[in-house]
Amino acid sequence: MSTDSARRFGDSNATQQRFLSLFLRSEREIFRYVAALVPNVTDAEDIVQQTALTLWEKFDAYDLAQPFTPWACRFALNKARQWIERRQRWQTLLDHGLAEELAQRRQELQPEFELRLKHLEGCLGKLPDGQRSLVEGYYFERVDIETLAKRSGRSAAASYKMLQRIRHALQLCVEGQAKPEVA
Amino acid sequence: MKIAFPSPEFDATVAAVCHGSATDVDMSALNMLLRNNPSARDEYLLRIELHSRLASDPDLFSQAVNAADNRRLPGIGVRDGQKILGLNPTVPTRRSLLAPALAVAACLMLVAGAVWTLWFKPSAVRRGATSTAVAMLTRTVDAHWDQGAKSMRVGGALEPGRLRLESGLAQVVFYSGARMVIEGPTELQLVSPLEAVCPAGRLLLEVPPPARGFRLKTSQLNVVDLGTSFGIDATRGQTALHVFKGKVEFSASTLAKQFLGEGRAAVVQGGAPPRLMAANSDVFTPMFEFQQRSMASEAYRYEQWQFASAQLNRDPSLLVRFDFENPGSKDWTLRNTTERNRSVQEATVVGCVRAEGRWREKQAIEFQSVNDRVRLAVPGAFEALTLSAWVCVKGLDRQFNSLFMSDGFDPGTLHWLIRGDGVLGLTVFGPGNGKFQILASPPAMTLDKLGMWQHLTVVIDGKARQVVHYVNGLPVSHHPLKFGPPFRIGSAELGNWNARSGPDPAPTLIRNLSGSLDEFELFSRALNDAEVRELYAKGKPDV
Repeated sequence: MSTDSARRFGDSNATQQRFLSLFLRSEREIFRYVAALVPNVTDAEDIVQQTALTLWEKFDAYDLAQPFTPWACRFALNKARQWIERRQRWQTLLDHGLAEELAQRRQELQPEFELRLKHLEGCLGKLPDGQRSLVEGYYFERVDIETLAKRSGRSAAASYKMLQRIRHALQLCVEGQAKPEVA
Repeated sequence: MKIAFPSPEFDATVAAVCHGSATDVDMSALNMLLRNNPSARDEYLLRIELHSRLASDPDLFSQAVNAADNRRLPGIGVRDGQKILGLNPTVPTRRSLLAPALAVAACLMLVAGAVWTLWFKPSAVRRGATSTAVAMLTRTVDAHWDQGAKSMRVGGALEPGRLRLESGLAQVVFYSGARMVIEGPTELQLVSPLEAVCPAGRLLLEVPPPARGFRLKTSQLNVVDLGTSFGIDATRGQTALHVFKGKVEFSASTLAKQFLGEGRAAVVQGGAPPRLMAANSDVFTPMFEFQQRSMASEAYRYEQWQFASAQLNRDPSLLVRFDFENPGSKDWTLRNTTERNRSVQEATVVGCVRAEGRWREKQAIEFQSVNDRVRLAVPGAFEALTLSAWVCVKGLDRQFNSLFMSDGFDPGTLHWLIRGDGVLGLTVFGPGNGKFQILASPPAMTLDKLGMWQHLTVVIDGKARQVVHYVNGLPVSHHPLKFGPPFRIGSAELGNWNARSGPDPAPTLIRNLSGSLDEFELFSRALNDAEVRELYAKGKPDV
């Protein structure tokens, strides 16, 4: 480490701490940024994990005066691109500039998303028990769909369909709540 | 397959994408729909956002965690205050993606494992988000803080309260966006993201539009910012306020509200009326320099360039743009990043090696051998054209060093090149065979410019019958044009030339470039001086 960066970062423990606190604060946002391109959760997590490694390697070049999340998202975008390149199916989805367009447009829609999705927690609370435990199992406990299907006595395909319906219901709920601007 | 919107097929396909079960055919149909239907695209993004929040925000399920052993508890009615996730060590929390990744990093770097395990408790940090911090300490130079102060760490959050910088420089970024540089000795009290008190010391404040209305108090003055950059030099008995940009409103106990404009300063002492004078930046010089250094950082420039690129890609007159950011690893193709023109999909890279671009993170390709080239075909005829490139020339090895040249010598086509003597040249081929005009600048690629990134542009304006060469945003020569439109590109090469001649070309026909390219644009119109200047400004490597 050069004297300059040593001065900037102090000792290496302090650097790790700084990196971790920055990363953990941004992790969710980085995940969502990636998921806008590769929505499948395990795949997106994969990409974020690879991104975390790169970020740590490049942390030396990070200018602490700049916001961390946009800096991190640049690498996440590159990692996602590399990942997509090796997977034909995702490449097909994101071809012809769609990846960049989605990333850009998501940025523009961010305030609107915030407004709508702030009611998500409340809406989750309103779900009937069976549906709620399916969502929790899938998104929070990360149980695989076969197990969830067994748990509920449905088929895997029916469980997927149910998840789709639940998300739809949640969307209707948050939109209903967002409209009157009560909160 | 085609997907309508809105439709049950759309719903099912989006769900399949979320679950990772979509087929190739689904993906292709969805791609087509999302690119052509903005409403479908926005709806898609909203659905994905909902899905990804569910997957990434354990807080959403905090009720479930609290009630982990008691599912009979009704879901509704549990309020925010009960989110105790991070305080309860027995509560299961989702793993952070960071843990395994950093474990690898830790091994790679031979860092003691103990340090890392300490940090494998993401929930503790996550809870930190609920803090009352109003600002962040982002940068320091030789900063010495008051002994009694809590540890002041770069990157650390700052809660409301007093801090005292004994010496050195420090930058504090308020969560409102206001950036403050303080120079020790300075006392500062942070009040809110939009308010601070400085009883004594020296500071420079830059306030972007979202932080307008930022309040700064000294012993004598209340300053309300109206979108500016200003400096304060305060002692217990006197405050000097210097406005460098925009204007501020200030008042004191015995004074009515007043405005102070750009380039003006006011000194207030006791109850006397303010003394007005010209702003003086001398005392703030180290702070300005400090501020500039952070703005000049590489990561920042690269990020700014990326934002500018996204805008540029939407220019309807942009026919071709290569940012060289992601040369396809498999087949060495370069994607045309334009959004409004699809006549050129991509270019093929022949030979060449990857290289570093204007910034460490920026990719480029380097032309080294006589075979290295980037081939593309641009259909159509145009009344005007603008060619623009960021190039780092290693040496002018040939008599003609190609920047961008149409194959052969076809009527209406162009050759853009750098001559061995540093002259920028454009050859325009006239309507008949064998007719051409050479438009050459004075030597522009001088020795001192070799090995450094340069921005080169040439504008071919058929209407005004004029060609202008630019270097780094400034015109270096104007030339009347003999031939009128239409102009064509056809099959062409970046960094080389296909002479369409026999197997043993004459030396003058070998025209490969020796150097790197990291950005190229082709517009179907004549950019004006201001536009070229802007193109340069948004891409120049440093401030």
